[in-house]
Amino acid sequence: MSTLRDSRHLWLLAGLLGAAALGMMLLRTVLMPATYGIQGPYRAEALAEIAAQPSLFPADATCHQCHEKVRHERDGTLHEAVRCAHCHGLAVDHVAKARLAAADPSVPIPPAAEWDGNFLTRIDLYLTKDRSTCLSCHEQVVGMPADFKKIDPAVHLEEQGASEPTSRETCFECHGGHDTAP
Amino acid sequence: MFDVAEESRRSFLKHATTVTIGAFSLTILPSTLAEDEPQVTKPGQLPILGNPPAAGHGASPKPVYGFLIDTTRCTGAGKCLTACRVENKVPEGQSRTWVERYAHLKDGSVKVDLVPETGYAGSEIPPLDADDVLRAYFVPKLCNQCVEAPCNQVCPVHASIKSPEGIELIDTDRCIGCGYCVQACPYGIRFMNQDTGVADKCNWCYHRIMRNEQPACVEACPTGARVFGRLDDPESELAKRLATVPTEVLKQHLGTIPLTRYIGLCDEVT
Repeated sequence: MSTLRDSRHLWLLAGLLGAAALGMMLLRTVLMPATYGIQGPYRAEALAEIAAQPSLFPADATCHQCHEKVRHERDGTLHEAVRCAHCHGLAVDHVAKARLAAADPSVPIPPAAEWDGNFLTRIDLYLTKDRSTCLSCHEQVVGMPADFKKIDPAVHLEEQGASEPTSRETCFECHGGHDTAP
Repeated sequence: MFDVAEESRRSFLKHATTVTIGAFSLTILPSTLAEDEPQVTKPGQLPILGNPPAAGHGASPKPVYGFLIDTTRCTGAGKCLTACRVENKVPEGQSRTWVERYAHLKDGSVKVDLVPETGYAGSEIPPLDADDVLRAYFVPKLCNQCVEAPCNQVCPVHASIKSPEGIELIDTDRCIGCGYCVQACPYGIRFMNQDTGVADKCNWCYHRIMRNEQPACVEACPTGARVFGRLDDPESELAKRLATVPTEVLKQHLGTIPLTRYIGLCDEVT
């Protein structure tokens, strides 16, 4: 029985190991996110959190809910795929106000502002009847597909018998806006 | 000089250590057990949000969505770039997506530049002389949502998520901003967001596609150069075009199995 004479040490060791294991499990519950591992090796609720982010870039359908006439003007034209937001801004505030106004006509819908010449503008809703709007897509750049309608502004003006653009709205003297008649 | 009792105590301690380490490793068992359970999915059923992934730990879920870039249609107007920035609140100077222009010059060299966010018109980039250029085209870049994503594999805190739909996401609450994933992405898609201090990347507008909307860049593209859709819907434009046009992926040799496919890609595009 001499081998068991130090059994007190074994009990001590077992107790210490047990306490350490308990401590580890406790630490694990505290540190590990609740939904970890439910779907995979990640925090499952993060998926819903990311999916809850609001959509900011508006689909044209949002605008067409009120501006049905514009949709018909653009229907079937080459510019049908150009989004309202490209030329008029995100209109987040405008849409929110318009929805309020639909329920309560006394809510004012602020009118569109003048464009400040910057496509990264923070203006909510603006009107761009400006040649740079057209040129932002159609100014000839090396690399554009052959069938894309592009112009060298100087050459194009010369063809039309002008030396300089007469105004910032110069494109619209010949071309349509929404209906983009060539 | 050892006696028998001394020797057995020594071997006892050795074994005790082994058992202890083994016992500690059991504490992580619940999570691994959950992932090793076989998944029951009906034939043709795809894993969607809310369902467990179709495969166990380490294997990638079956992709639901696909993305097609048609370089022959991109005009380099940069509308997609602005849309992405506002949609995902990407700080100025950083990008989740960008467009490169490759110009093959007549002297045999290839010139590559970045499309400015508001297009070349009015930008400070000196225009290329069309007479020097043999051929030029635009290549939009965005996350490839690799099936075997290297960025996901290196994350030390499980902040990189391969969603059940196969989309690579970032859990910004868990991310510690170590930047390891930024190094790991072979396509340079990931970056450290200077506003939040954690990793950021294109997630194909996960929040939009979960509501059956198009990603912001696709919504904004006026020429159809970006096509997004479900791979399992044969009626989608994506499925139709994938079925009829030969497509390629970037850096195929790396074996990352990208889901973003390209039309009209050339060798120099990586």
